[in-house]
Amino acid sequence: MALSSVFTVEGMHCSNCAVAVERAVRALEGVQRFSVNAATARASVEWNPDQLSLGKVLNAVKKAGFKAIPLEGEEAADAQRLERRLALKRIGVAGLGMMQTMMFVYALYAGGSHGISPDIAQYLRLAGMLLATPVLVYSGAPFFNAALRDLRQRRLGMDVPVSAALLLAFVASVVNTLRGDGQVYYDSVTMFIFLLSLGRFAEMSVRQRSLSASEAFARSLPSMATRICPDGSTERVPLSAIVLGDRLSVARGAIVPVDGTLNCGYALLDESLITGESRPVKRLQGGALMGGSINTSNAIEIVCRTSPETSTLAGIVALLRRAGAERPRTVAAADRVASLFSLVTLILAGAVAFFWAVVDPSNIMTATLAVLVVTCPCALSLATPAAFAAATSRLAQLGLLVVKPEGLERLAKVDTIVFDKTGTLTSGAVVAHVVRINTESTAEAMLAIAAALERGSEHPLSQAFTPFANPAIVAQDIQEFTGQGVQGTIDGRVWRLGQVDFVAELSEGSHIEDAGTHSRLALGTSAGISAIVAVEDEFTEGAREAATTFRALGLNVAIASGDSAEAVQAAADSLGIREFHSRMDFGQKLALVKQLQSSGNHVLMVGDGINDGPVLAGAYVSCALTNGSAIAQSASDLLLLNRSLRVLAEGVAIARRTRQVVRQNLTWAFLYNVTTVPLAAAGYVPPWVAALGMSISSLAVVLNAARLAARNAGERRAVTRAVTP
Amino acid sequence: MNIVLLLIPLGLVMVIIAVAAFIWAVNSGQYDGDVDEHARIALE
Repeated sequence: MALSSVFTVEGMHCSNCAVAVERAVRALEGVQRFSVNAATARASVEWNPDQLSLGKVLNAVKKAGFKAIPLEGEEAADAQRLERRLALKRIGVAGLGMMQTMMFVYALYAGGSHGISPDIAQYLRLAGMLLATPVLVYSGAPFFNAALRDLRQRRLGMDVPVSAALLLAFVASVVNTLRGDGQVYYDSVTMFIFLLSLGRFAEMSVRQRSLSASEAFARSLPSMATRICPDGSTERVPLSAIVLGDRLSVARGAIVPVDGTLNCGYALLDESLITGESRPVKRLQGGALMGGSINTSNAIEIVCRTSPETSTLAGIVALLRRAGAERPRTVAAADRVASLFSLVTLILAGAVAFFWAVVDPSNIMTATLAVLVVTCPCALSLATPAAFAAATSRLAQLGLLVVKPEGLERLAKVDTIVFDKTGTLTSGAVVAHVVRINTESTAEAMLAIAAALERGSEHPLSQAFTPFANPAIVAQDIQEFTGQGVQGTIDGRVWRLGQVDFVAELSEGSHIEDAGTHSRLALGTSAGISAIVAVEDEFTEGAREAATTFRALGLNVAIASGDSAEAVQAAADSLGIREFHSRMDFGQKLALVKQLQSSGNHVLMVGDGINDGPVLAGAYVSCALTNGSAIAQSASDLLLLNRSLRVLAEGVAIARRTRQVVRQNLTWAFLYNVTTVPLAAAGYVPPWVAALGMSISSLAVVLNAARLAARNAGERRAVTRAVTP
Repeated sequence: MNIVLLLIPLGLVMVIIAVAAFIWAVNSGQYDGDVDEHARIALE
């Protein structure tokens, strides 16, 4: 049987590259089918496992000059781990080499001012060369490879001036060593490689962390599952062998492998992997379970509801991969600027070298090296992507996924939020609460009486009382008066629930009170009205807090709903939202959004993502509160997986902070270059100071961005608790 | 100053030992950095 796999090919820029990759792979024996797409950077291969392994295919791609990265599971984790280890070894070699080289070369400097015998000086130079050469070849390889690839594709990346500086310093040092006279720069070479590798490592860590935030979804599914056979015995089967309707057993602490239906009493599930919500949720028999949630109760049995490929998790992974393949425009722009900058750097270095050759040849090396190193646009090209990566991974942890590349930038600019009501601000259920109470009794007792009167009623509002029912309180002789209310007898007393006038009739008109708005009901006996009850939409978790936070962030909040004017007004009043529109179909909602946008607002549309797709697509930026397999078809820029609007409010705040960090980073990178270039060109900056300055500026940018990803201590504790079984 | 002739090769040997030790440590996974993973193993 043939095996197949999909992997990413890095470094392809045109269809010629794709042809080169294809030729290299097809030359292998055992490849049955291979296709590669330069636009998406994806390659898919089918091979015969008897003749070939995936490793060999990836190696062939690598030999052709490209980088092949497996997309799935263990292989991707392994590739990441190996990349990290290799980078660490390069840093280690460069760091240790740098320390020792400095000992030797600084002895030379000291000898220069205090006197040193020529034999010893030459001995030190040779030792320096012996140390710097392996550092250059092993630890410097990534820079030279990247520069070569750039040059071959007739582009200028920032590795071109870096490599030029390294080669220039090293070759000049070797020439001076062989001549047995003059300055050597082995210390600068090793230090530059060490510091630059450190910066790259920090960048890689941020990138891998944000990658793992999305790939964590893909990897969170186990590769094996326990299937229950019809005879009751169990067997371990690979995930791919599971079909619809299979019964699976999930042990305590194990991960639910597919979307399924609970087939036993109840289960407690930790859905934090998918929704970011760390409190376990309870599911009863027949309830829907999401693949990827962790079973925190005893062993449970589930029935597979979707195939592994169409599960909720698979939908999320597909969206995130699509998002990951595209790059936000600002990042692309920063790259173009960096490329231009590299060109300017090279020209400037040439000009500086020429100037000093004419004016004072002894300064050529110092000034030229310093210019090449100091102007490296590393900080500039890191400024934006580092911040975006950190913020995206932070948001994913919270349960807000950025699925379109522009989503984060746009979220920061939002000044108006339009909410759909049902399914977004409200859950669709109604709930009753006591507004005023005229007797000694408690609110719970009043609601229990109301629940007893409404039991068996077909009226939609009656559901508002169901949660308060008390089995000990039973109403008899229940009569419904259409348009007025219900009447029943409890413990020999006659109670009425309904319109104020209707209830007041029992007490012959005494104690008539104004019940306020229409959705309020009175509850009373012949002794008078006992309580006023309001029936309201039940708000989704965090809706109240979110409405407050959005206002605190200075955003205009509006509701656009298809619901009746009363229901929308009640919800808006309760949330303190002043602008609301009722009885709108999606065409009218879209028109509202367009009208707001044409008057210069940046609108964030929040909907349930199921029936308001066109409205979401029409807004400047949109967020869908959806889960289930509908996720993959979502047209929105953001996905709120845990339906908690509080997270969305935090998302807006994080997006704004991200924009701020990007600005700080760009300002810093710009100021750094503006101040250091003239000093370097004037020959005031020794190469090692230039290397230090450049690396510190890159590290500052990466660390500043990392602030966005930081979790606070409270959340860390919550995670630890969630891990504890 | 003859001692320098001995100390410099000694320094080179020390670097080689240090590099070898570091590479061994990285290869045996000591810097893989998944701290949460170890907590989880201990708790399960």
